[in-house]
Amino acid sequence: MEVFIQQCINALTLGGLYALIALGYTMVYGVIQLINFAHGEFFAAGGYIGVLLLGVMTAMGLMESAPWMCLGVSLLLTMLYCAFLAMGVERIAYKPLRKQTRLAALISALGMSIFLSNGMMLARGPLDQPYPLEYSSGGFEFGLITINNLQIVIWVLTAVLLVALNLLVFRSRIGMAMRAVAQDKVMSALVAINTNRIIALTFAIGAGLAAAAGIMVGLYYGSVRYDMGFVPGIKAFAAAVLGGIGNITGAMIGGLIIGAVEVFGAAYISGEYKDVFAFIILIAVLYFKPTGIMGENIDDTRV
Amino acid sequence: MKKMKRSVGVVAVLAVALMSGAATAETLKIGMMGPLTGPYAADGNDIANGVRVAIEVINEAGGIEGFDTIELITQDTACDPKQAVAAANNLINDEVVGVVGAYCSSSTIPASETLAEEDILMLTPASTNEMVTDRGLPYMFRVCGRDDDQAPAAVRFMKEALGAKTVFIVDDKTTYSQGLADGVAASSKEMGLEVLAHEHVNQGDKDFSAILTKAKAAAPDVLYMSLQNHSSGSLMAIQANRMGLDAAILSQDAMFHPNFINVAKEAAEGVYVTFGYTDESTEAYKQFADKFSAQYGDIGAYAIYAYDAATVLLNGIKQAGSTDPAKIKEAIMAMDFQGASKQIKFNEKGDSGSSYIAFKIENGEYRPYWHPETGYYQ
Amino acid sequence: MAHLEIREVTVRFGGLTALSNLGFQLADGEILGLIGPNGAGKTTIFNVLTGVYRVTSGDVLFNGESILGKRPHQILKRGISRTFQNIRLFSKMTALENAMVARHCRSRAGVVGAILRSPAQKREEHELQERAYEALKFMGVAAYADTVAANLPYGLQRRLEIARALASEPRVLLLDEPAAGMNPAETAALMEDIGRISSRGIDVLLVEHDMKVIMGVCHRIVCVDHGEKIAEGNPAQIQSDPKVIEAYLGKPVEQQA
Ligand SMILES: Nc1ncnc2c1ncn2[C@@H]1O[C@H](COP(=O)(O)OP(=O)(O)OP(=O)(O)O)[C@@H](O)[C@H]1O
Ligand SMILES: [Mg+2]
Repeated sequence: MEVFIQQCINALTLGGLYALIALGYTMVYGVIQLINFAHGEFFAAGGYIGVLLLGVMTAMGLMESAPWMCLGVSLLLTMLYCAFLAMGVERIAYKPLRKQTRLAALISALGMSIFLSNGMMLARGPLDQPYPLEYSSGGFEFGLITINNLQIVIWVLTAVLLVALNLLVFRSRIGMAMRAVAQDKVMSALVAINTNRIIALTFAIGAGLAAAAGIMVGLYYGSVRYDMGFVPGIKAFAAAVLGGIGNITGAMIGGLIIGAVEVFGAAYISGEYKDVFAFIILIAVLYFKPTGIMGENIDDTRV
Repeated sequence: MKKMKRSVGVVAVLAVALMSGAATAETLKIGMMGPLTGPYAADGNDIANGVRVAIEVINEAGGIEGFDTIELITQDTACDPKQAVAAANNLINDEVVGVVGAYCSSSTIPASETLAEEDILMLTPASTNEMVTDRGLPYMFRVCGRDDDQAPAAVRFMKEALGAKTVFIVDDKTTYSQGLADGVAASSKEMGLEVLAHEHVNQGDKDFSAILTKAKAAAPDVLYMSLQNHSSGSLMAIQANRMGLDAAILSQDAMFHPNFINVAKEAAEGVYVTFGYTDESTEAYKQFADKFSAQYGDIGAYAIYAYDAATVLLNGIKQAGSTDPAKIKEAIMAMDFQGASKQIKFNEKGDSGSSYIAFKIENGEYRPYWHPETGYYQ
Repeated sequence: MAHLEIREVTVRFGGLTALSNLGFQLADGEILGLIGPNGAGKTTIFNVLTGVYRVTSGDVLFNGESILGKRPHQILKRGISRTFQNIRLFSKMTALENAMVARHCRSRAGVVGAILRSPAQKREEHELQERAYEALKFMGVAAYADTVAANLPYGLQRRLEIARALASEPRVLLLDEPAAGMNPAETAALMEDIGRISSRGIDVLLVEHDMKVIMGVCHRIVCVDHGEKIAEGNPAQIQSDPKVIEAYLGKPVEQQA
């Protein structure tokens, strides 16, 4: 029982991170029907910028006097940086191709992914970058169950970001514009929505969330590496598809499911095939409900 | 038409003449293959840099008679068997005399078969799987140790030095990591160490919480961590530490890398690692270490073996006075010298012996801890 | 003074001339009908006026200023708003949201303000909601404010489209076959609504195949065929114009409905 609870804790942590990354895939797909394969790289870039900022703060001695403030400031700056990075990528690699076939943009996305991850390797070398943080960051223990403080930080932050995103998308004027662009770009342009700006903003928000996940992964797992975006990127993409690509709530649920399947698969069936379980679930859902768990019928305004 | 045929023939003859001219020109080409990109890029670059230092040392000692320059051609294998074969073919086309590499056993094995077709020497600084030298290839040499030496050494260490009764084994399913883990499992059975579980994870995994939770519940005396790369190792060590796993952690040569400690920090403290013993007080080691760290910084685990492998190859060519593989092999087989890593003498299989001891990480350093013959250090 | 003036506009799509040297004016306070057989070029005129299509030659003046080359949202902001022949609502959004989106052009706060939700921004959002709601009320769909557009009955979707167009506070409203698919009662209500819109000081350009609607509400009518203006005048003049009758396959205009 204790082991089971511990596995639930593990699943929640991993699933939350996947959900944060999955949102970027789903939001971008929602507005321009592009699978942004470079999205995992924003996650990695988040981890990288985080390690740089925290490194500088540690060197300045700020980390010791005000660790929480340092983490907060690094998180915000990292999210901002990646948001701008994503807008730049969109501008350079996707916008010029918007009128071309989807395949062109897809290939451009793959190219961007390779470019960004190799850029990070050239900038900081191929080695893991350790996060300047004490690992014994404290936590709670109940018998066999351990909850690390950083896990709690991840949960809280993930929840806050998810709620904030929901408010933004479903309660604000900007969110309304985003949903409008997702449904009908021509009509949106007619009602004076600057679709280019909304598309850029969508990239920015998705990348910001991924960056937050990146810095949290760095803190929690202790290090980041230039190629860290690849595997979680694919899992998060699977989560987005599982939830119904284009659907924000779906991405959150999909992320949690993939996290849970992976952890419980590894725990109770076999660690070797945990990725296989995640993808089997994905295939099964797509087979029985091709639009994903939360997906509606494929919208005709979209095709 | 006939005329054209003849001119084609002339061009072909000319080309052959030019090419053979190039082969007898004064550049000696040697190859290096290893993962220069991808998850194992750090180790691959260590190997390339080790070879570069060896070339530098030979050049400073007057070079090799008959050659003006020694050119190093590096090929990326990305630790992918298919790419390794392509890399081997590229090196064949470049007409290298010998190759230092590869890193992953799963790359070395297929690449060596390709190189063997052209009788090109291959010296691996890092592939410890038995099959590397057990296939009877005449020009395959190994400077590092063998897994089937390392596994029993590891099990003896757990039993004799740690007094362990149970072990929980985790590997990440590469030829190397799983081969070694299987070896440890087999040796454990032989030597009466109970294997509580043998779990597998995937390369590139970041989250090991599920497996570690299981390990914690199983409460073994030792967690035997056989991972392909120190990157995964540091992640696992950190998470084990966070989770409050009480077991001692024993790992293998892949974890003998400064960045394992840099990343895992406190979590690396107390971790045991089996690795070939290198006497850092020898002249050979010092000569290498000074040169290497001046240019490339931290000395990665395989940089030393790569340096020795390249030294063996270059001295073999030098002593043979020829690029004929049979003659070079003869020269190599006659060698018995103090390398930077260890005393090097090859047996008929091409192995140069293992010297596995257990290191313990203390205060951010690998300290020799236990020797299978002589017991604890100090 | 004419609010809207179309001068010698020609639009070609490859070899097809959709509009050829077409010109007419929409006077202040006017309800102008635009009729013509299928494919005559009526919707094309709307697309030109709203910046969706580029003209091959000619000019379009709004309040004396050329709006050629302006982007659709710039034109909307200047006060030309439209509905569509095929209903084009944001079908997954509620009725209120549809009307709110249309007021996007009237809001000032930028992206950052919208995310940070400054007090000014909150006030603006509140006002935005109020105005959007008023537009729904004006068109009698306020009761369905929170209903997702796709779930509204057809007639109400048509009205919602007009409400959305009104929400952007236009000076000129372009209606493209608003009565299409409506039952007689709905059509009668629509005619009343068009009168009320006009009395709010909004000029109306109405494309409609239902001649009862055209004859009932329009002050003046322009008839186009094959992209050319073939007649212009008050309803009585148009009804008796032989060219118009001929354009409608020689049948009397009254039977067209
Ligand atoms: N984007 C376009 N590309 C090519 N041809 C077009 C385009 N838009 C309109 N046309 C053509 O221009 C002509 C005028 O079309 P338009 O839609 O303006 O007619 P309409 O008067 O609105 O007809 P209806 O009463 O059927 O709505 C038609 O022949 C149409 O096929
Ligand atoms: Mg039309």
